[in-house]
Amino acid sequence: MTAPSVPAVAIKALVKDFGTARVLEGISFAAERGEVTCLIGPSGSGKSTVLRCTAFLEEATDGLIEIDGEPLGFGPGPGGRRVRLPAAQIRTVRKKIGMVFQQFNLWPHMTALGNVSEALTHVLRLPRREAEARAMAELERVGLAHRAAHYPSELSGGQQQRVAIARALALEPRILLFDEPTASLDPELTGEVLAVMRDLAETGITMLVVTHEIGFAASVAAKIVFLDHGRILVEGTPAQVFGKPRNPRIDRFLETYLDRGAATLL
Amino acid sequence: MSFDLGLILASLPDIARGLGMTVLIWAVCAALGLALGFLVAVARRSGGRVVNWLLFVPVEVIRGTPFLVQVFLLYYGGPFIGLSLEAVPAGVLALSIYAAAYYSELWRAGFAAIPKGHLEAADCVGMSPVQTMTRIILPEMTTLILPAMVNMTILMLKETAILSIISVPELTLTVSALGTQNYAFVESFTVLALLYWALVELCGAAGRAAEARLAKYRFA
Amino acid sequence: MSWSLLLLLLEAARLTILLSVVSIGGIGFLLATVVCAAMLSKNRLARGAGRLFVSFFRGTPLLVQLLLIYYLLPAAGLDVPSEVAAIAGMSLCTAAYQAEIMRGGFAGVPAGLVEAAEMAGMSRFATFRRIRLPIAFKLTLPALINEWIMMLKSSSLVSVVGVVELTRMAQDLAASTYRPLELYAAAGAIYLAINVVVALLGRGLEARLSWGRA
Repeated sequence: MTAPSVPAVAIKALVKDFGTARVLEGISFAAERGEVTCLIGPSGSGKSTVLRCTAFLEEATDGLIEIDGEPLGFGPGPGGRRVRLPAAQIRTVRKKIGMVFQQFNLWPHMTALGNVSEALTHVLRLPRREAEARAMAELERVGLAHRAAHYPSELSGGQQQRVAIARALALEPRILLFDEPTASLDPELTGEVLAVMRDLAETGITMLVVTHEIGFAASVAAKIVFLDHGRILVEGTPAQVFGKPRNPRIDRFLETYLDRGAATLL
Repeated sequence: MSFDLGLILASLPDIARGLGMTVLIWAVCAALGLALGFLVAVARRSGGRVVNWLLFVPVEVIRGTPFLVQVFLLYYGGPFIGLSLEAVPAGVLALSIYAAAYYSELWRAGFAAIPKGHLEAADCVGMSPVQTMTRIILPEMTTLILPAMVNMTILMLKETAILSIISVPELTLTVSALGTQNYAFVESFTVLALLYWALVELCGAAGRAAEARLAKYRFA
Repeated sequence: MSWSLLLLLLEAARLTILLSVVSIGGIGFLLATVVCAAMLSKNRLARGAGRLFVSFFRGTPLLVQLLLIYYLLPAAGLDVPSEVAAIAGMSLCTAAYQAEIMRGGFAGVPAGLVEAAEMAGMSRFATFRRIRLPIAFKLTLPALINEWIMMLKSSSLVSVVGVVELTRMAQDLAASTYRPLELYAAAGAIYLAINVVVALLGRGLEARLSWGRA
């Protein structure tokens, strides 16, 4: 390839304040197309905030985010200031993003199939049969076609999260964001969700994942961004981040996550 | 439509007396209702199936019928079964019983909301049933049911107005009599509404303040 | 008690039911949605007006509201039958309670469910209609049914402004037959029966709305 490829997500000097507290102090990194990028770091390091800004669920205080080369929410303006982009533009760019939440956030009054087909019928306005066929295919992909008629309350946490992944996939996003997707799951249910995510990674979809599952990050991610106190401490391949010599902060971090697959790295 | 403020000002002592009566009846009935409701709840909780059912029926009958009808039944029907009461005691009795039915349900909800594990823990450290009630259940429950209790108590303040219909000389009776005698309905009922409104908002604010102070004891 | 008395009570109960359906389920419910929308609106003035409405009508006894309306309307030059004053009073009062219940319901919809809709590209209106409304409805239904029952009982107060519904009929008959015990007990039993039916209908509705078995 001659020209440098445009990254799927480019985060440039992102700053986020909550009231008087500054949780992101100017963060820049890129998530490349077709790769898995994992954001890790201690609780309160700001990794979920980065993700929520990338989904435009939070508006960054300063800095720019580009999705597939297109500015999200704010664009560069005259005199180095950023300008808010029109709502239609925001919607267009946002369509490229799918999101999987820590709390699944499945709509309780719809079946698994209903959750996945909802946006197909009510946003893309596909005919019902076509929408349901597509939704079924997505449920198949996460191994839950046989649970299509069940309501979220009838599914295990792991199954709910897999339905949520299918829901995000149904809109064919260019980038899938995962916000601690296994953090509210029992250990024995974590595996099934991670397995689905591994399969997805192999299909070449771009993924930006906030996680505490160090083993998953080390084995699947092409790039790891380690955040600490709202700054990037280290960024690189798993070998660069976890290999020795290692930053003592990361050493300490790994010791607290021995049970999440970090033991093998120590 | 005119508004004769002078009339209201001239009758302030009367209005104050009516207000005093309302607050007094309210306080007495709330206290009696809370206590009786607590007893009913405890009896239904630990008195076995028969007691539970025997108390379920009156509680549901009281909660399912209008307070006004209950007042009429007691005040006008009472004498036929040898229960002749003056308006004030009849009103206080009726409102206390009415309140007790509702309070008992709130107490019961509070009992039910306490995790079993907390009671088992109290048992394990050797607390007696009375100690468990006073040291564990009641303090824990207070934070849980306080909002509902405050709501119910505010509701009762508004119910006291109904006692004016059997001529208990409380606020509503006093002020509407003022209106009738002077043909000043607009003035009297406006003042009446404003007084209740102020009282209710005051109580609501006090309740919220209490909730805020107790919030730190709330468990997940 | 004779059958003729009971029939008169039942006849009057029809008016109680009619008044309640019109003011609680009809006008009051509709007004409540408007007030709730005002309280949830971004417009400060609308929010303030909504809150003031709810505060006043929840903060004063229905009896006083009825008296106020009953005497205020003629003073304002409006001569309306007592039934209309009764419906107006009941509707305003229950609207305040129902609006507050609805507001609580919308506030109780988990923010994540709305975010998920946002991420799925749903418009504000679609999110409201497909996600927030059904969930808020389910959350508020028990409280709404409770309010309908409370208000149905409170409808007895319109007897004071001269509407001959169930309570007033019992009162009139008690005065003329001199048998208050039976008449008020019978009136109470009729109220109880109506409320049991409402509660059962409500429970049926709640059961139909349970999404899944958990």
